[in-house]
Amino acid sequence: MTESYKPSLQPWQSGEARESALRVRLNRFMGLIQRLVSNPTTVMGLAVIVSMIGIAIFAPWIAEPNFPDPYQMPRDWGAVRKPPGTPGHILGTTNVGGDVFYGVIWGSRKSLQLSLMVVGSTVVIGTIIGSLAGLLGGWVDEVLMRIVDVFLSIPELIFALAIAAVLGPSFTNIVFALSVVLWVKYARIMRAQVIQTKQNEYVDAARVIGDSKLNIYLRDILPNSITPVTVQATLDMGNVVLIGATLSFIGLSEAGIAEWGVLVSEGQAGIASGRWWASTFPGLMIFLWALAFNLVGDGLRDALDPRTEGR
Amino acid sequence: MQPVDQEKAVQARPRPASVASVRNLRVYFQSKRGMVHAVDGVSFDIYDGETLGLVGETGCGKSVTGRSFLKLLPVPPGKIASGSIQFKPHATCRNCDGNGCPSCEGTGRQSAANSRGRSNEKGIRDSVDAEIVELLEIGREEMRRIRGDRIAMIFQDPGKALNPTLPISEQLSEVFLLHRTSELLEAAGLPASTGGALRRFASQEQRFGDSLLMALPPNRAFRNRLVGALNKMVIEALGDTQVPNPAKLMARYPHELSGGMKQRVMIAQALACNPDILIADEPTTALDVTVEARILELIKELQKKRRTSVLYISHDLSLVRRICDRVAVMYAGKVVEIGSTDAIFRDPRHPYTRGLISAVPSAGARRGELAAIRGTVPELVDPAPTCRFAGRCPFEADSCRRFEPELKPVSNGHAVACFIDSAAPSGRQPTFQSAAV
Repeated sequence: MTESYKPSLQPWQSGEARESALRVRLNRFMGLIQRLVSNPTTVMGLAVIVSMIGIAIFAPWIAEPNFPDPYQMPRDWGAVRKPPGTPGHILGTTNVGGDVFYGVIWGSRKSLQLSLMVVGSTVVIGTIIGSLAGLLGGWVDEVLMRIVDVFLSIPELIFALAIAAVLGPSFTNIVFALSVVLWVKYARIMRAQVIQTKQNEYVDAARVIGDSKLNIYLRDILPNSITPVTVQATLDMGNVVLIGATLSFIGLSEAGIAEWGVLVSEGQAGIASGRWWASTFPGLMIFLWALAFNLVGDGLRDALDPRTEGR
Repeated sequence: MQPVDQEKAVQARPRPASVASVRNLRVYFQSKRGMVHAVDGVSFDIYDGETLGLVGETGCGKSVTGRSFLKLLPVPPGKIASGSIQFKPHATCRNCDGNGCPSCEGTGRQSAANSRGRSNEKGIRDSVDAEIVELLEIGREEMRRIRGDRIAMIFQDPGKALNPTLPISEQLSEVFLLHRTSELLEAAGLPASTGGALRRFASQEQRFGDSLLMALPPNRAFRNRLVGALNKMVIEALGDTQVPNPAKLMARYPHELSGGMKQRVMIAQALACNPDILIADEPTTALDVTVEARILELIKELQKKRRTSVLYISHDLSLVRRICDRVAVMYAGKVVEIGSTDAIFRDPRHPYTRGLISAVPSAGARRGELAAIRGTVPELVDPAPTCRFAGRCPFEADSCRRFEPELKPVSNGHAVACFIDSAAPSGRQPTFQSAAV
């Protein structure tokens, strides 16, 4: 038997089969994209997300960065409380001379940072803890899930607020507070998924050929459990900005930074006197951001649902 | 196949050596109402190269028995309470060094009983070195080396036994990566001493960053050679199961294949490393009859080529009669009758076996007449020491409700656990004449 495995020039030795497997994988991905874009609301959401991320990336070219810290609002004491349309300040200025346009543009960077950091860390932590609970079961599961229950028993906004308030007002602390609060959702989802997936016969089949536990987890269980987590993560990309803005609004990040929640907070005093612009434009951005990710999240859920695959 | 030739062959061959002996296996499941004795003192041998059918109705413990070979039981609630499964792995044939010769029927293998010591110089490299392995006592790592290499398993529903997120090639190459690393390196023209990322690549133990390392120039060429060698192995394994165009099949995902195709892939995976024992847990139940016939033929053929013993778990008597050399009938966690297929079907000695056989509808039977066994399977929660079949048995006498019959031989290689053939210690004895009906 072993003699026949001598290398010789055969078509399959170019790795052709592997590559065509890659192609099939690509095709599947394209199929998912196709299902996604067949839904008009999802396309709208995607368009908003893409332009928001575009704004965040190209912020230094759209609005000249403030020196030395571009995330600090520039102060133009010569143009205070100017309405939108003022030359040099298209969206007006705040009551301390901050350019609203600058805040809107650079605020998208802050929001992107916030959502990526919070969602990134919570997905990783939640997936690991949920997987451990689901895989090991027994007392590990019991202990971890009781901890999760404790976290879930406190409303997430109040909990995040408490942590951020204790740590002191700063944007970093908001990121930290939200990460501490939001991982439990992913742990819950992941645990349920892992418990369901590990009962599949292909997991037994992998054990039967002598695969290691880590390999079984990485190749069989994780890829078949992760879908609901990705949907939840997409939805959370929007929600995180919403909660983050709330915390900023009540003064839990540094004053005067280019962050939508802070801007809304600083502008709201002027609304009664008719200076609507300082709060409205950043508020609109928060709204669009949250809406867009929710639309895409819903679309993703439909597109990944195996029952809709044939449509 | 003519029956006369078969009988001659049986007589000519010396008494076969066993590759596995199960002794007094007890598997319990903890439930709310007590211990469920799913398998309760099962003993049998699997002989070298034979097909042993394990028959019984749903819940009689046949699947649990099969899964115990590979420690595939959910623990908890399952628990192997006692017993032993001794596994005697094949050795390379000493006469031909694994190249195939008349004495090993061209398989290059030889059962452990015939060989004195194991030669591991050339040919098939066995990862298991012991002559007798106690499957219930070995550690997890040792078990992993046996799984898929020396003992393989095919599952009931091929649709569920393949990972939907991986293409066929990846799932099949896993076996080779896990058990044939050195052959793979050799086939790729790499020295056996290869280490580092390349070896990890060839044994599926990649670490973080390895894929980057493998994609860079010095390793890239070797990786491609490894992938080529791997693909060749996979194509060969697939080709053995007679799938059309195996190279094309490799890139497919399980959901793109038919049930029969998927089962062929599973068989290719199971037989890839020439296992000594194949545990087939109702491999054709989910398939339709025409596909079933072809799959069975395939298993039979590959089995002969590789001298693999098959433990065929099924509830389909007519099928078992067709493909098995010997049959063990299980009822309520016990083997009630075991013997050659011929003996079991020609002269069944246990009332349960008789009931099962007469319950199989035949073309000649009159319409509307199905000989069902009355009653249902008893609960297996802390069972009393009586005959498990008492209460459903048409021949039962009062000794059946007081003593537990043990498996006693009635003729050469045919054993029955019933008081009809071996009298109970006391009390009125059942006979085939004492039908209660």
